Amino acid sequence: MGEMEQLRKEAESLKDQITAARKAVQDSTLQEAAAGITVVGRIQMKTRKTLRGHLAKIYAMHWSTDSKLCVSASQDGKLIVWDSVTTNKVNAIPLKSSWVMTCAYAPSGNLVACGGLDNMCSIYNLKGKDGNVKVMRELAAHTGYLSCCRFISDTEIITSSGDCTCILWDIETGTQKTVFAGHQGDCMSLAVAPDFKFFISGACDFTAKLWDIREGTCRQTFGGHESDVNAIGFFPNGNAVITGSDDATCKLFDLRADQELITYQDSSIMCGVTSLAPSLSGRLILAGYDDFNVNIWDMLKAERVGVLAGHDNRVSCIGVSADGMACCTGSWDSFLKIWN
Amino acid sequence: MSSKAQSSYNLNQARQTVQQLRLEARNERIKVSKASADLMNYCIECARTDPLLMGIPASENPFKEKKPCTIL
Repeated sequence: MGEMEQLRKEAESLKDQITAARKAVQDSTLQEAAAGITVVGRIQMKTRKTLRGHLAKIYAMHWSTDSKLCVSASQDGKLIVWDSVTTNKVNAIPLKSSWVMTCAYAPSGNLVACGGLDNMCSIYNLKGKDGNVKVMRELAAHTGYLSCCRFISDTEIITSSGDCTCILWDIETGTQKTVFAGHQGDCMSLAVAPDFKFFISGACDFTAKLWDIREGTCRQTFGGHESDVNAIGFFPNGNAVITGSDDATCKLFDLRADQELITYQDSSIMCGVTSLAPSLSGRLILAGYDDFNVNIWDMLKAERVGVLAGHDNRVSCIGVSADGMACCTGSWDSFLKIWN
Repeated sequence: MSSKAQSSYNLNQARQTVQQLRLEARNERIKVSKASADLMNYCIECARTDPLLMGIPASENPFKEKKPCTIL
């Protein structure tokens, strides 16, 4: 038997082993465990603010950790930092490349980052001495588009790319610290664990992967979706992962049980999930869809308990502020809305 | 890529796939009943401090427009 054939057989055998090990701990289901809990009452939120100013589709937004400021990226070639309470534009940053697909706010509030079809992640210093916002670093190494980026600190950022890899960068030197390879399709999004030790990525190979940031290894792989995983997030305590896919469903995967616990789907929903965010307690999952709506799911009961309807085009991004007080949606209709 | 290079690339890919699967097969797994209970308990404990779940009184909502009051 050639080595290739041997390896193929061993791979199949290991996959069967993993399936069996997952089944072996399936002494119950989340549905059964939550049987005694009542579904959350109807959630009705209103648009409290509309952030107007972008001139083209909004592709990404990210809250600052102060729960007041947020940054958005649009293919009008601008990054705008907003005060969500006053709706004032704190910064309007013109970009070298207008084909932006992602943006991020550093936990410190000092930096923002963005990237897209230029294959680069550009870091901007918001607190420069003369008050001007300038490019601080251009992180170039990916051979595909930048789909997502998230800061670990002012000195480290993780990016995901259409080249199927994720990279941990040293911002000061502008170099790659670690390349996370393993996905067999474009990486579409990433989220960092609350303890900053792990991150998760969703990709066009229909899987989500959990990565150990310091070791540089993939710890777990979660399958089950039937199409691209576009959106991903951590459950607030870091023990579970929520994914959103082009297959019109969201799924919850528990990290310690190493398997899917529940699927959020409805026969009336036939379009892809573009974005998602859990509420502060994790009980609600807010998910943006291609049909211009956000559906609010009861995370434990897998029932739809609310809808945010207000955008005139696809909801491309969503975020819940760190203090849990508000949800922000960004859309191809060029507006951001603040809801609670 | 030449066909020789392609087969050696495929072989490397296969080796890496098997190595990764070996790693993942070794993971410890807890029971679904425990995982579910822990998730439920977390939600219940944190429910009262989840503003989007509980609703926010108008006076405490920084995003709500303050309506002007007339003093009669």
